[in-house]
Amino acid sequence: MTRWTLPAITFALFVVAAVAAPWLVGDGGIGLLFEIVLMLAMAQLWNLLAGYTGLVSMGLQCFVGLGGYVTIFASNTLRLPPYWVLPLAPLVCGLVAAASAIFLFRLRDAYFSISTWVFSEVVAMLVFIAPGFGHVSGMTLETARAIDYEVFLLANFWIATGFAAAVMVGIYLLLNSALGLSMLSVRDDEVAAASIGINVWRNRFIAYVAASAGCGLAGGISFMAALFVTVTTAFDLNWVVAMIFIVIIGGIGTLEGPIVGTIVYYGVRELFANLFALSGSWYLIALGSVAVLTMLFAPRGIWPFVRDRLGVEWLSIARKLPTIATEDDAKGSVSTSHGSLRA
Amino acid sequence: MLLEVAHLDAFYGDFQALEDITMAVDSGESVAFLGANGAGKTTFLRCLTGLIERKRGTITFAGGDISHMSVETIARRGIALAPEGRMLFPSLNVEENLQMGGLSRRRGYWNLQRIYELFPLLAERRLQMPNRLSGGQQGLVAIGRALMANPTLLLCDEISLGLDPLAVEQIYASFTAIRLEGTATVLVEQDVRRASSTTDRIYCLLEGRVTLHSESRRLDTDELTRAYFGT
Amino acid sequence: MVWIGTVINGVLLGGLYGLFGVGLALVFGVTRIVNIMHGEFIALSAFIALGISTVLPNAHPLLLVVPVMIASFALGYVLQALFVNRSMRLPDPLAPLLLTFGLSIVTRNLMIEAFGVNPRSIHQGDFAQLSIDVCGVQIGVLPLVTLALAVVLFVTLQLVLRRTKIGRIVRATADNSEVVRLMGVRPSSVYSIVMGFSFALAGVAGLMLALRTTFTPFSGVERLLISFEVVVMGGLGSFWGAMLGGIALGVAQLVGLRINPNSGFLYANLVFFVVVLLRPNGLFGARQ
Repeated sequence: MTRWTLPAITFALFVVAAVAAPWLVGDGGIGLLFEIVLMLAMAQLWNLLAGYTGLVSMGLQCFVGLGGYVTIFASNTLRLPPYWVLPLAPLVCGLVAAASAIFLFRLRDAYFSISTWVFSEVVAMLVFIAPGFGHVSGMTLETARAIDYEVFLLANFWIATGFAAAVMVGIYLLLNSALGLSMLSVRDDEVAAASIGINVWRNRFIAYVAASAGCGLAGGISFMAALFVTVTTAFDLNWVVAMIFIVIIGGIGTLEGPIVGTIVYYGVRELFANLFALSGSWYLIALGSVAVLTMLFAPRGIWPFVRDRLGVEWLSIARKLPTIATEDDAKGSVSTSHGSLRA
Repeated sequence: MLLEVAHLDAFYGDFQALEDITMAVDSGESVAFLGANGAGKTTFLRCLTGLIERKRGTITFAGGDISHMSVETIARRGIALAPEGRMLFPSLNVEENLQMGGLSRRRGYWNLQRIYELFPLLAERRLQMPNRLSGGQQGLVAIGRALMANPTLLLCDEISLGLDPLAVEQIYASFTAIRLEGTATVLVEQDVRRASSTTDRIYCLLEGRVTLHSESRRLDTDELTRAYFGT
Repeated sequence: MVWIGTVINGVLLGGLYGLFGVGLALVFGVTRIVNIMHGEFIALSAFIALGISTVLPNAHPLLLVVPVMIASFALGYVLQALFVNRSMRLPDPLAPLLLTFGLSIVTRNLMIEAFGVNPRSIHQGDFAQLSIDVCGVQIGVLPLVTLALAVVLFVTLQLVLRRTKIGRIVRATADNSEVVRLMGVRPSSVYSIVMGFSFALAGVAGLMLALRTTFTPFSGVERLLISFEVVVMGGLGSFWGAMLGGIALGVAQLVGLRINPNSGFLYANLVFFVVVLLRPNGLFGARQ
């Protein structure tokens, strides 16, 4: 049993579940799973930025919205099925993110966070004012009329699950790589990292552009499926609010955290909105209370709490230091000492 | 005995910083703690003030067990610390820093007026901000701030480290006045000559353990060298 | 001439914005917490003010300031003491952030359940409608009073911090919360007092808001970004910076709306960016 075993099994299970799901749950269930899976991907991307690079963004909704608008606009204008133009979403968002990094990266901590929010508001307002994007009415996906509804639903679901799987596998592999190690060192101690030659700016830039592009693709997929985008839904602060909630409740800086957080988030929502059939405010009150209680009793998040209590590992990227053989080797028994770097 | 420490162990996480420390200070006495960097001297003072929570053993002060008391309570009981690096409040001027020291309003000899008499330099610079003072002047403020609490036990952590000789002279000259008023002192120092000439007894620490306990005037240099560096 | 009127009204609006931000600046300066609940403080205070005004229907609206501040102080103190202080035990700033965020969601939705989403307002006589004529420009009395009140509160806050014992203690705790314990000060008590002050200041902002316009339980979160912008522009922890930031945003806002009535907060946000890029630590923050 190596440290790749559990992640590999998890991945396999995920693939099987994704393929089988449409036959296990109805159309409404697929819609919910679609939403959950996209949210999980976005939460992992926010976690990449905040938990692994130290950039707390309150502006990723900007790229979710831009991705949605780019996809629908391109599909309508080029008269192509939306699937073909999806790659434009991360492309445009990556470019915008790269441009914004030039000035946003001059700011630190809370200044940076607030400024990302303001940036998103500015972009939202510009899209609102700009001609050709529908102003207050938004835009509808006209090319979807040609697609069969059932096929559309299935295709979207599998694209979303494929995307989420790719994001998680990508992040897992990234963090296990040399680039990932340098990112973690920047997160832990920026000055120390710089002093051993790590290019702090470049690390942050890569993570920021990747997360933004990822959110752009997520937005493209989401609004393509919704067939309709407006400035209010596209650039809604609640996108990043949900990401922040999921990651911090689940456990920031861990891969398992966002998974746990997503389950909690949707669990509470479905419980209160559907099962208890209470008005919308009560589910939000429950969600807020979960946040408060978790921060009071498990401030590092639910997953680290469980992990440390039960001593289990799942998708850990903790690195084991090389074993050191000692004198006992000569006598035939190997005495090893190793520690581990927890990520 | 004003302060009695028995079998004190202290930990930073899993790392044991102090092992089986036993020592005592009587009212009005002056004791020095010597040792190289990392020996555990600062850790020891932090234990006395309550800043280290992970510890074993007993610390008795003025008849009460302070091993599990909070920092704030211990401070109000009469232990004051002039910390390593002085640690003055950068947003407060000299006088305000001193006033912060006197917050607990303990009765005693020391007040603002008398601190200014002890350190006339500070009186001239009452309204200056700490970043405009030299290291030595900051050291005076740190000691003055600790004295303002009218402590029965004054702890000084490497208060002369890195300071110009003139400032160090002034600081050590003040200890005479401090002793006259009956405050017991524990000095953590690296300057052996000064420490042994100002105090009654010295302890030496090495890797968290007491390796020497001697009266200052009977201090044997060879013995101290062995205790300081270990052989 | 019309533009001068716009600028003047922008300055006055800036007084309200400054008032929104000062409580947030105080909390951040001392505790280093970004208090997401701040918006809810403003909205809740508006409802508290509404409640008090129904009990005292003939009182001049400005007299409501004192009871609103007292009630707000108490609420802020209790919230910090019961909840936020606990989450500050670890040095990670994200835990208190999410805690205040969770509290804000709970508070806002409790307000929705309790008061509904219909817009409310406070009607205390004609005070809110008064205006004076200065050289042909109509200036509302209420905005003028708001700015004056903001300046008075700022000056009082500065005086309390610089000249009083509690102010010294607060500044010392903000400087070094460990060393201050050595002087017998409990940092958590200081934080509770500071949060109480912060809430009291937000209370005045909420009252002024309620007098000026209609409000709903959403009125706080709608103004959260402006509050943050004011604080960040000024330089985290600087009150005069927050005041200036508020005025700059107020002027930008009204001038922008005159240029394009549909632009919302666009011009204010752009001014924010310009300032923050020219001075990455705010107008009066520490130089980098």
